[in-house]
Amino acid sequence: MATLPLSTSWFARAKQRFWRLAPSDREPVILRHSRIYILPTRRGFALIATLVVMLLTAMNYALSLGYAMTFVAAGMVAAALLATFRNLAGIASAPVAAGEAFAGGEVTFTLSLASRDRERTGIVVSTSDGAPEVIDLPADATRPVVLSVVAPRRGPQPLGRVTLSSNFPLGLWRGWAYVHFPLTACIYPAPETAPPPLPTSRLGIDPQRAARAADAELGGLRDYERGDPHNRIAWKAVARGGGWYTKQFEGGSGGGALDLDWSELPPGLDEESRLSRLTAWVLAAERETRAFGLRLPGVLLARGQGAGHRRAALTALASFGQPKPT
Amino acid sequence: MNASKIGTPLARTQLGALAALLLCAQMPLWAHVDHWVAFAGTALVVARLVFPFDRNNLRNLRRWLLPGLAIAAAIGIRVEYGYFIARDPCVAFLYVLVGIKFLEARGLRDGALLVCLALFLALTQFFYAQTILAAAAAIPALLATGVALAVLRTSAGATEPWRPHLTRTVRLILQGVPIAALLFVLFPRLAGPLWGSPLESGARTGLSESMSPGSISDLSLSDEVAFRVEFTTGLPPPSERYWRGPVFSRFDGAVWRPLYKLRGGRYVPSAGRPSDYTVTMEPHGKLWLFALEHPTGPPRAPNPDAPAGAPTEALAAVTYDQQLLAKAPITQAVRYTMRSATVGTFAAVVNDASDNLQLPRGNPRTVEFARDLRGRSASDRAYIAAVLDWFRTESFVYTLSPDILDRDPVDGFLFDTHRGFCEHFAGAFTLLMRAAGIPSRVVTGYQGGEMNPTGEYLIVRQSDAHAWSEALLDGKWQRVDPTAAVAPSRIERGIGAALPAGERVPYLARIEMTWLKSLSLHWDSVNYHWQRGFVGFNLERQRDFLREIGLKGAPPWRLIAVLAGAAFVWGIAVLGFSRLRPSRIDAEVALWRRACRRLARAGLERRPDEGPLAYADRAAARWPAVAALIKDIAGRYATLRYGPAAGRSADVVAQLRTSVGALPPARALRATPQPA
Repeated sequence: MATLPLSTSWFARAKQRFWRLAPSDREPVILRHSRIYILPTRRGFALIATLVVMLLTAMNYALSLGYAMTFVAAGMVAAALLATFRNLAGIASAPVAAGEAFAGGEVTFTLSLASRDRERTGIVVSTSDGAPEVIDLPADATRPVVLSVVAPRRGPQPLGRVTLSSNFPLGLWRGWAYVHFPLTACIYPAPETAPPPLPTSRLGIDPQRAARAADAELGGLRDYERGDPHNRIAWKAVARGGGWYTKQFEGGSGGGALDLDWSELPPGLDEESRLSRLTAWVLAAERETRAFGLRLPGVLLARGQGAGHRRAALTALASFGQPKPT
Repeated sequence: MNASKIGTPLARTQLGALAALLLCAQMPLWAHVDHWVAFAGTALVVARLVFPFDRNNLRNLRRWLLPGLAIAAAIGIRVEYGYFIARDPCVAFLYVLVGIKFLEARGLRDGALLVCLALFLALTQFFYAQTILAAAAAIPALLATGVALAVLRTSAGATEPWRPHLTRTVRLILQGVPIAALLFVLFPRLAGPLWGSPLESGARTGLSESMSPGSISDLSLSDEVAFRVEFTTGLPPPSERYWRGPVFSRFDGAVWRPLYKLRGGRYVPSAGRPSDYTVTMEPHGKLWLFALEHPTGPPRAPNPDAPAGAPTEALAAVTYDQQLLAKAPITQAVRYTMRSATVGTFAAVVNDASDNLQLPRGNPRTVEFARDLRGRSASDRAYIAAVLDWFRTESFVYTLSPDILDRDPVDGFLFDTHRGFCEHFAGAFTLLMRAAGIPSRVVTGYQGGEMNPTGEYLIVRQSDAHAWSEALLDGKWQRVDPTAAVAPSRIERGIGAALPAGERVPYLARIEMTWLKSLSLHWDSVNYHWQRGFVGFNLERQRDFLREIGLKGAPPWRLIAVLAGAAFVWGIAVLGFSRLRPSRIDAEVALWRRACRRLARAGLERRPDEGPLAYADRAAARWPAVAALIKDIAGRYATLRYGPAAGRSADVVAQLRTSVGALPPARALRATPQPA
């Protein structure tokens, strides 16, 4: 289990030990007694209060069987406490992946939960914001848990502290444990909704031709070369076992290479609007399968094409002006 | 509308589980609440299941019908019982209330509230009965509580089958039993109630504080156990088994009542062969304790460990008319040891006589007859003998159904009807004595008792209730039982033998030993041990137990420490036990793991990313001698685990088991040299 370095104060370490506020869980975390908290639920408190009333009644009326029944019920409540603990103890959880999203959308994080030696029932995985996921695990199973979280702003978005909880078996006790992985998603700027058309390149591409690019027609197939974008591979031919070909379009690409330059945007736009417009343009260029370069203050992305290039461009836009991730 | 606040409505399964719980809680009370209450409460529960209530209906119900129903039930119960703020009407109201609440229950929260109410309702049956059957009747309610809680855990719980919930509940309850047992013996018991009097009026049968014609014959119709006695010395003969209870000296012509001034008395000196015995008395709500005539010392809490003769706390004091009176009403079963000298006389306390000569107006024929007969008798003793002789020779009938007499009842009984029960004989005899100037009084109690052949103890039932007389002769009170003169078999063999044929004798008091009676005696023996060991676990028994385990008089913190320590051990045990128990995995997985473990111990561990076939290849290369076997194991495992479902059969699993069994032990494998 990862803990803070010994140099930090005992208070900080205790706080981390109790609340897991820092993302210090590096490797798969196995929930043990040191992480699991258990308190009665509201229903649990109500039932315990009922048991107290039953006990008082048995005392007042000297009902031996009343004592017996109260204590048997209390034994069941106590055993339920252990069952709640057992349901959580031993679960292994590990970070798997952080998704990507545009600001204002929802980003998904994937964790894996392994039940290990026994069956787990009704494990609720929740973050501070976003809908909780409920999962049942058979014994010896590992299942992904996908958490959807609202992504309000561009830039890196950490998953934050995740709570694994369960009120199994009787709903009288809620056991929970915190895990805090350093899982961070990249949130791209929200694309401008109605962006102006793609700018013409300084190379002097005919704007009419560029505008027609969206309606480009399939011209033919050529042999696949490493690096061709995925969406231009002739998948049908691959599926038929006919080999790897790349689709070529008439009038689409070719002359369409363009540069998206921060400094050429209208001067009245503020920073976020510029990023939004550039994002929209990156998406449009990719949709039209045109190679593009990206130039931001301090960032220069050479012309390129394909999913990897698109991600690099969007990431550059997302992290523009953000502190470098450690 | 308020859908979010209410939450998901209860699903059919959840309603079913709640209904089962409520019925389980209500059922044991059917015998104890009024018929209409029992019917109404249960009908409401069933109604919810039978009639579909959609949400709109429910809303109207909630607003108008249910408060109306609740108020109507409250008024009905108030009318039925004559009061409301007391135990029984509250139980009845709760019984109906859970039905009303169930009718309008909508979300999980309502469900949880109902579970709490039902659990409490299930406890209330013990107000009325703490028999083995009552204990058994509580078990379904406890199980249903667990199932209902599990089904109500989430709104999705509705789709799960209830059977695993039941199994899990049984497991939880069994796991909790050690904690329950520990709390049962260690939780401090109280000497008295926390509030109010736990005894409800008219709830118990037994002798009463006055005697009028009919009071004992009514009691004689009851088979209920008054008390049970274990004798450490020999059992005295039936004619000496007079269990003395309330004594009556004041007579108003119809009803006998006790004296108000009950000063302290003296125990009789131990003489002859005293009887030592232990009485286990059922609660009767009165002060008196019963002892054989006459006790030589106070009743004491039994203490087998104390050295002989060491004094323990006296449970009662003796009055000057030889009644044993406890300090508080007997509201729970009590056990005490006694020593009695079975003598028929005891020395009178001074100034005893005048209270017992009082003669009310009326019954002139009796008074005249007494004076006449005394005048013809040589002495008081001769007079007593003459009266008893007269009883014997006149055609008196000992019967449970005497005629009812309004004016001068003693005259009517002695000279007209000649039909009476022991209270008639004892009352008339006492009056005859007083009229002749002999101080006398009526003593009530029990006479006789039946030996339980299986339990080795004497059962004294309400049907053994009896009344006799006591006359002061030469400074000593002498027991005289006129019933013995009329119906000697009553004294020797019990009421069943004494009553004429055709009388309504309580079943267990009859003289023939049928198999049914023998069965019921066995059952009584079981019940006796149940009462003694479990229901009768009170303050004294707890003290005995704590003394036995060396915790007597321990400060509370030590008890708490013991409890906490035990709870810790229990928790570890339950958690550890579940770890030891194999988790439910498929047979082939277990077998494959066993093979892998053996190969790992032999020095070749499976890498986490390695599939069974790849691992088998590696292992086969390491141990060429068993290569075929290893590949067979992995192949079968892969077929069972990843192959089509059709390939899964018990045969393949059995073959896999054989192959795994044939794998050489790890030591032998490790000893095999590496192939070149």
